[in-house]
Amino acid sequence: MAPVAVTSTARRRTGAAAAYSVLGLVAVLFALPFGWLVLAALDGEASLSAGLPDRLTLDNFSAVLTFDISLRPILNGLVLAGGSALITIVAGTLCAYPLSRFQLRFKRPFLYTVLFATGLPVTAVMVPVYGLFVRLDALDSTFATTLFLAATSLPYAIWLMKGFIDGVPVELEEAAWVDGASRMTTLWRMVVPLVLPGASVVTLFTFMLAWGNFFVPFVLIQSPEKLPAAVAIHQFFSQFGAVAYGQLAAYSLIYSAPVVLVYLVISKVLGGAFTLSGATKG
Amino acid sequence: MKKLAACLAVAAIAATACGEGSGNGSDDRTVKVVHLDFGGGDPTADWLQRAKKQYEKENPGKTVKLQPITGGVEDYYGQVARMQQSPSTAPDVVLEDSSTIEADAQAGHLLPLDDRLKQWKDWDRFEDAAKTATRAQDGKTYGVLMASDVRALWYNKKLLKDAGVTIPWKPESWGEVLDAARAVKDKGAADVVPLNIYASKAAGEGTSMQGFEMLLYGTGDTLYDEQAKKWVPKSKGFDDALAFYDTVFSEQLGPSPQQALSGELPNTVNEKMLPEGGLAIALDGSWLPRAWEGDGWPEWQDTMGIAPMPTQDGQEPGATSMSGGFSLAIGKKSGNPDGGWDFLTTALDKANTAWVNTRGNLTTVREDVAASAGYAERNASVAPLTELLKVTHFRPALPDYPKVSAEIQAAVESVATGQSEPDEAAETYRKNVTAIVGADQVK
Amino acid sequence: MSGPRTPPAVAARHPNLRRALGPMAPALLLLTVFFAGPIGWTFYAAFTDSALTGPGAADTMFVGFDNFTQLFSDPRFWDSVLLTVVFVFFSAIVGQNLLGLFLALVMRGRARAARGAVGAIVVAAWVIPEIVAGYVWFAFLSDDGTLNSLLRGLGLEGTSWLVMTPMLAVILANVWRGTAFSMLVYSAALSEVPTDLLEAASVDGAGPLRRLWHIVLPLIKRTMVSNLMLVTLQTLSLFTLIFVMTAGGPGTKSQTLPLYMYEQAFKLFQIGYGTAVALVLLSIGAVAGLVYVRVLKVEV
Repeated sequence: MAPVAVTSTARRRTGAAAAYSVLGLVAVLFALPFGWLVLAALDGEASLSAGLPDRLTLDNFSAVLTFDISLRPILNGLVLAGGSALITIVAGTLCAYPLSRFQLRFKRPFLYTVLFATGLPVTAVMVPVYGLFVRLDALDSTFATTLFLAATSLPYAIWLMKGFIDGVPVELEEAAWVDGASRMTTLWRMVVPLVLPGASVVTLFTFMLAWGNFFVPFVLIQSPEKLPAAVAIHQFFSQFGAVAYGQLAAYSLIYSAPVVLVYLVISKVLGGAFTLSGATKG
Repeated sequence: MKKLAACLAVAAIAATACGEGSGNGSDDRTVKVVHLDFGGGDPTADWLQRAKKQYEKENPGKTVKLQPITGGVEDYYGQVARMQQSPSTAPDVVLEDSSTIEADAQAGHLLPLDDRLKQWKDWDRFEDAAKTATRAQDGKTYGVLMASDVRALWYNKKLLKDAGVTIPWKPESWGEVLDAARAVKDKGAADVVPLNIYASKAAGEGTSMQGFEMLLYGTGDTLYDEQAKKWVPKSKGFDDALAFYDTVFSEQLGPSPQQALSGELPNTVNEKMLPEGGLAIALDGSWLPRAWEGDGWPEWQDTMGIAPMPTQDGQEPGATSMSGGFSLAIGKKSGNPDGGWDFLTTALDKANTAWVNTRGNLTTVREDVAASAGYAERNASVAPLTELLKVTHFRPALPDYPKVSAEIQAAVESVATGQSEPDEAAETYRKNVTAIVGADQVK
Repeated sequence: MSGPRTPPAVAARHPNLRRALGPMAPALLLLTVFFAGPIGWTFYAAFTDSALTGPGAADTMFVGFDNFTQLFSDPRFWDSVLLTVVFVFFSAIVGQNLLGLFLALVMRGRARAARGAVGAIVVAAWVIPEIVAGYVWFAFLSDDGTLNSLLRGLGLEGTSWLVMTPMLAVILANVWRGTAFSMLVYSAALSEVPTDLLEAASVDGAGPLRRLWHIVLPLIKRTMVSNLMLVTLQTLSLFTLIFVMTAGGPGTKSQTLPLYMYEQAFKLFQIGYGTAVALVLLSIGAVAGLVYVRVLKVEV
């Protein structure tokens, strides 16, 4: 028996070694494109190629950290993405609660429609969305754009929140109803605290999607003072992209920071970087 | 709870029903001016800023809201067209390319200005060609031209001289232009681009006008037959112009493919390649010196020479050019057309026009500016460029022109990148243009 | 529809419906105006000559199926469909999906630190905004970008990747960007595959490939199908990454359907025609969505 065991251990070792080299290679290949982003941002004379800066500097950051170039767009982006995330989670939870708790004749078709809607590429068909916004006279309105972004996130928010609320035993609430509490009271006092981790993931995920969305505000918002960072960085690139690579990289890092932060929070909430898949899997 | 739902509902309806309030501050106290920020030392933004200060001083209590669009020329037309769709975003005054006036007039985006122009004594100072440029087919005038421009060959005297080309250079056919470029390629430094001619969809009108049409209108053929009132979707001149591109890029006389495709190229040529001696010959607009005089390169007059673009084989009149120009127009959906008109006449009075024409190295369209002191003497390029007005051409001012122009850009780009042979690209152009304008509208 | 005993049944349901509609109202309103609205609008505008400028902007008219006749006879539309299929197949179905599965498999049971480090890099590509991913790859593949510098360091000649191989460029970028999603999905699914089952098979002499084929894959089949659907839908509608890297060019060499739609509507100002393209995109999305709903066979 002994030799067999040795072979098997040896095989496992080579297997592990191979696995680690593959992982190492993948990590390097994935990290390479990032090289430019980080190095150019710190380089006073950056080009398009990643290279060690002759002199480390934060000049690129201070050059783009002005109100018009990046700060106002970031504030606009926070309003747009934060607003749509909040609207999504509030409307989504309110919508999911009856679907989870009540006997409703239209429930099945409604939920199937919602699930189906999660797959529709509405943010990709900005041409009719634009046409509709023209007709509704809602162009260039931060508020209407926020509502649109919220609506496009609602299907999966409703779907996921219904799942989370299903997981909260109804018995808890029934006791409170007997004592005369309204459904909204029990939803707020008993259900929401229990689904809070899931709800915050949905909120943050919606925020990430909206923050990173370029196409929607690009088409729907025109006034420079209303543009979120996603579009402002594109204009910066069109205007200075060919000359100020370092600044473009610095701007990219500044613009990416909030979502990276949000992602770190999400993984904390879920206790482990990989569990977000539970939420995205549906 | 019910309150929240009600709030959301009311808010949603309010947002959709009336946008954000009634228009973005476009009442009779504010004038909203939408313009392109060209970048690269272009004085348009400063010019409008000057006019804004003057207008606000002369009209206390009223304000001008300048709305620059910075996404680049090719995004500008689309952005403005999108803004024109609804009263809440429509501009009071818009910087309008004269070639899009016809389309926008037909679309109902622009206000006819004839009644107001009759009252404006300055209008007599505008040259007839400038008046025609902003008149649509319905006979009404929809804008006031701020300046015109021409296109020519800008060359670096030193680089051409080093390559053995006689200075002053005066090529008399396309072949001589190519020969000079070849000489630079063979004898010049390795990192010098011999010749730039715009060849990308990203450069937009720059490709159609500074590039392709500068060739086509030197062959004797045109895009549109004014007599027959029909488009010319196929001609020998068209094929030859594409073949010129093919030669430039297959012999690597032009910029690298990635450079050629970049939307940044116009500014890179103007601000870096020419001043730094990285480009020998540029087929480009008369406005280039604006970026050089603004900062840092007063010596350009010694370094750069101007040669008219020759016709294909030197046929009469020997040289060719294309002209266009931006105008100020008033939006039909404007909530404040009177304020818009007052701003327009302020920005385009003699002093402000002279200022922007001089600073932008543009060809003035006002005779009083042309005659004024300092205009003609400001630099060495004025005389040869003004001379080109005798041989210049205008784009067909038709609503379909922008689409046809996009087809030109596609054809040129596919040839320059080697994706299509010139004859294939010409055939695609013929098919697409026929589909765009209709089979009964082509020769 | 309703039998003779309907009245009491309706009475029983009504209070529920009434109580349910209150809380659901905000979501329903939003979905009606901003989700169903654009879709409804698509069905209207796709049959008009609506335009941003020119005559079609002044008086929009119904043109019946003209847009679709023109669309289906435009070779560029079919080129664009083909490019979209190529893009989705190689970057999503093959690239993201298989690489994601592979990474999830390889990472399984590896040291926490290694998993964390590799995972962080792969996930970072997915977390950063799409437009930044576009700039990162634009810089990486530029003439004087990192890749060409590295190749020169190895004594090799680079090329203008974005110009000469635009589809390869955007496919690689999208694999880079999207693999994390599939990896996360598969990691979650694999964590539910019982270890003792695999160990038992291992004792019976089944090699890694056989274990994968006969035990793991059947167990995660449903995850796989739903992941495929999701990445397909995401990739189908991808706009920004390509817009930043190649803008669909050179020429139309990387012009997938969303880019084609954008050009027709916002650069050539043909809103009606662009909407017809949108309807095609929506229909493809709808078919994929239906398959997704069917395959998931969820209990609701």
